[in-house]
This record gives sequence, C-alpha cells and structure tokens, in this order.
Amino acid sequence: MTLETGIFYGLGGLLLILSLLVVTTRNLFRGALALSTALGVMAGLFVLLGGDFLAAGQLLIYVGGVMVLILFVVMFVQTPALFRAPQTNRRWIPALVLGAGVAAVFIHIFYTVPMPEETLAPAAPTSAALGKLLLGDMAVPFEVVSLILLAALVGALVFGLEREL
Amino acid sequence: MAEVGIILRQGVDFARQWLVGMGATPFQALVASKVFETTVTISVILAIPLFLVYAERKISAFMQARLGPMHTGPWGLLQTPADTLKLFFKEDIVPQGADPLIHLMAVVLAAAPVFVCFAPVPFGRGFPLINLDTGILFVFAVSGISTLGILAAGWGSANKFSMLGGIRGAAQMVSYEIPRALSVVPVVLFYSSLNLQTIACAQMVRWHGWMPKWFIFYPGIGQIAFILFLIASVAETNRIPFDIPEAESELVSGYHTEYSGMKFAFFFLAEYVYVFLSSALAATLFLGGGDGAAFLPSWVWFTLKTGAVIFLFLWFRWTFPRLRVDRLMQFCWQFLLPLALVNIVLAAAWITWKTA
Amino acid sequence: MTLAHVLILSALLFAIGVYGVLARRSLIAILMSVELMFNAANLNFVAFNHFLHPDNLWGHGIVLLVITVAAAEAVVGLALVIAIYRNTQNLNAEDLHLLHD
Repeated sequence: MTLETGIFYGLGGLLLILSLLVVTTRNLFRGALALSTALGVMAGLFVLLGGDFLAAGQLLIYVGGVMVLILFVVMFVQTPALFRAPQTNRRWIPALVLGAGVAAVFIHIFYTVPMPEETLAPAAPTSAALGKLLLGDMAVPFEVVSLILLAALVGALVFGLEREL
Repeated sequence: MAEVGIILRQGVDFARQWLVGMGATPFQALVASKVFETTVTISVILAIPLFLVYAERKISAFMQARLGPMHTGPWGLLQTPADTLKLFFKEDIVPQGADPLIHLMAVVLAAAPVFVCFAPVPFGRGFPLINLDTGILFVFAVSGISTLGILAAGWGSANKFSMLGGIRGAAQMVSYEIPRALSVVPVVLFYSSLNLQTIACAQMVRWHGWMPKWFIFYPGIGQIAFILFLIASVAETNRIPFDIPEAESELVSGYHTEYSGMKFAFFFLAEYVYVFLSSALAATLFLGGGDGAAFLPSWVWFTLKTGAVIFLFLWFRWTFPRLRVDRLMQFCWQFLLPLALVNIVLAAAWITWKTA
Repeated sequence: MTLAHVLILSALLFAIGVYGVLARRSLIAILMSVELMFNAANLNFVAFNHFLHPDNLWGHGIVLLVITVAAAEAVVGLALVIAIYRNTQNLNAEDLHLLHD
C-alpha cells in the first residue's frame, strides 16, 4: 500500500460518502455544502492524477462560482420548515434499482474488457502545455464555449427579469 | 542580518539527512520535515494579526488626531493579547433556530483557506514552502472558498439582517474576484509563468543599471494593474470603502452579528490574515518581492514592502466613505472590469511591440 | 492505483448521481445531482489522459470545456428555478405538470 494508493482510497471514500449525503439529505443547505466539499475532494483527486491546473480551475469555477450560485438560490427559495419535508419522490425504488444497475454495468465492463497497456509519465506541470493546447489545437472548441457562455448569460438574464422584456 | 530563508532551508535539509541516518526512509524524513515547516509557517502566520490589530488601532488613532490604546501595557502594547484573552473566555452562543453545524462550518470555511494560500508565497530567498507551478492561480482558487463561509455565516445565524449581509458579502466577493484575477494577467503575460518564485526572481534585474525592473514601473500597464489589484483586494477583504456586508451603521455587523467568543475572533483573524496575504501578493507580483539593495536581506525587504501595502489598506479605511451596495457593484462591473480588459490588451500590445 | 480503480470510483459516483436525479423531489436537488454526474465524467477524462495518453493533454482540455459548459448550464437552470418559484411558490418536480394532467 503505497502513499499514493492510500491517499486515493481515502479521497475516494470521502467523495462517495459526501455524494451519498448530497443525494439523501433533506436539508438542502447541508446538501449544497456537502457538494462543495465533494468538489474540493475531486480537485484533490485531479492533483493525484497529474492535473494541477485543472484542480485549481475546478476550485475556482466550481466551488467558488457554481456552488456559491446554488447556495444563493437555496437561500432564496428555502424556508427552514421545508427542510423537514421528505425529499424522495414516489419512484425512489426504481431509481435505486436503476442506479445500482448502471454501476453494475460499468463495473462489469471495466473488469471484463481488456484495458490497453498503461504508460505512466513522471509528474510534470501542465499550465504552459495546456495553454498552448487550448489556443492551438483546441482553439475552435474554446471559442464555441465562449459563445455558449454568452448564450447562457443572455438566457439567464431573460429568465430572471421580473418585468417583460 | 543573514538570509533567514536560506539558513532555514539548509537546517531542514540537515535535519532530514540526520533522520535518514537514524533509520527513517527518505520519504518519511521528507514528510516529517514538511509537517514541521507547515506547523512553523502556520504559527508565524497566526501571530501576524496580533501585530496588525495593534498597528491598525494605533495608525487609525494617529490619523484621527488621538492616541489609541495607551492604558494596557506601555503604549498599549498589551491591548491585543488582552482582547484575545477576553474573546477566549466569552460564552459561545448559537442562536435558537440556527443550524449548529452550519454555524460552526461557516467559521471553518471562512478562516481555514487563507493559511493554505501562504504555501507558494516567496517571503524572500530560500522560501517558499512549495515551489508551485500554478502559484498565483492556486492562491486565487483557494481564497475563493471563503465566499462559501460568508454565505454559511449569513444562513446559520437565523437572522434576516445577517442573511442579507451574507448575500451582499458573497455577491461582492464573487464580483471582485474577476478584476483581481484579470489585473494579474499582464504580470503573467510578461513573465510567462504562474509561478510566484519565478515572477519574483524575474524582477530582480535593473534598467540602465540602477532602476529596479519591478512590474509597477512599466509605464501605464504596471500602475493600472497595481491600482486595480489594490482596489479589488480591498473589496475582497471587506474593508472600507467596501464593507457593506459588515458595516456597523448599516447592518449591525452583518453576517457576523450572531457570533461571539472564539468564532468571532476567527472571523476577525481571517480578515487580517487576508489583508496580509493580499499585501504579500501585491509585493511579490508588482514590487519585486524581496528585491532590494544588498545592505538588507531579502526577507526584510519583503516585510518592508508588505508593510507599505498594509499601510495603504489601513490608510484607505479612514480616507474614503463607504460605497453603497449598488454603486459598489456598478463600480466593479462597469469600470474595473473593462479597465482590466483594456490593461490586458495594452500589455499584449507592449509584448508584441517589444518582440517584433 | 490503476486505471480500473479510478474508473470504478467514477462509475459509482455517476450511479449516485443517477439515483439523485431520478429520486429527488426538489428541482435544486436534481441540479446538484447532475453536477455530480458531470464530475464523474470529468474524473474519467483525467484518468484516461493520465494512464493511457500521458504525452498530451487533450483530456485536461476537454475537462476545462466541460467545467465551463456545466457552469453555463447551472446558471440557466437556476434562473429557471427562480422563475418557477416566483410563479408557483413550489419547487417539487412532481407538482409541475402544466403540460399534461
């Protein structure tokens, strides 16, 4: 059991526990805080897999941006009385079966299909290479994503305005 | 005076070799040395707010033609330890109807990330703790986590005014993160690296043999970037003129109204450590960070420059009136953000002209 | 820590997200479970990049784009949630059936 494997098991176990908390808790604020912690643990897993820039980007965008937004909305629409209402709908048993089925199918695939040979490279900083890639080979998806962001911005404005446009 | 950083690093290397000689594997010795370094760093950083609180009270007093704390100890030097002891013994009150777990997690989320942010900051030659390649991005990412702490503090107080303060504070912090990050982009463009050590070392050269090549001296780009970073950092740390979330005359202390005792002390401590972090970053990125004439070691230069920027933070508090919250947002999105983008274009044009 | 370990972790995370989307009542909870599924896919991309193609960084690039698109989707989804709350004061997914009976 090397340190790498130990850290992976620790972070992975923590991630699974936190995500179970997210999907089962009645208190949506606690669920959102658990999701933020799960995303932080995910950033740690990215670092373990060699993506240092990606881990910082995940913390900056997901935890510092998207989760703050979700917490805003939770604070706007939730009253504390709602936190004691049951949070699972009528179809939770089929959902449980389907979730377990998805997991079983994936795990079966990963155990039976032969994986290609793994080649490991020593850990190297990725920021400069990622920048060259994003503005070089990946320039078109990069610009398209900026258009998607513009459309999302305009769409959120339209949906959020109280008066008619 | 000697280069403390290099001496400490050599001492830690020697201790590591001694541990290997005593039978530990090199990896265990590395882990032990890193744990020791981290403990020492966190202890030193925990001691910084003691000085900063006293400095703030004294400097504010002198700016207002009064004397400040004079009673406890000579020249009021024991005032901050006395305040800390008082806060330590106060009762920890959790409001009824508040979620006690969230009440506690808010303090943790607001105060813990700032200690992690000090890892890649170079305090002089021989530091930093980790030579992180994504240094500046790491600092921005981890300091964005404390926004969640402010939201949780607002929600966990079961108080409508606190919730309002928390929402305003989180909106302000999220908004001002953008000009702060964009104002650092020209620095990254010039030195082609996110590594704080590289940026600090690249500023240790001279123009014409005497003018230090700090980033703030580049015409136009350097000054605009420094002022943008300063204003955005003042807004990020919720200081006047941007302290609507905790304004005493508006929201009765905002999101930390319902906190007493050590929890309030931690919020207070987190704010001062963030001021120190922002000043240290400004000194590293724009002022050369450790660069200076040879008669003082590099860590003394770094402390002097950081102290100068902290003095600017304290000076702003009693010079500018408080911004109203809608004008605050307007200032960020309609003035600072376009200015930051224009600065990036200017920096890119300068680099293209210089390398053409 | 082999590729199979990381893929199994992401499969479990994805399955938990699927359960959350299908079994939760509040719209915001459904959105949070969708974020979990996005993160499972991101973990997959980074794992494949690290173990099978360590010479380039396409996996990391795609993960950056996925993070951005997920943020955009969360923004639009939450704006919709606020609009629904303003009109009906009710965020249960079972009670929103104006288009059928």
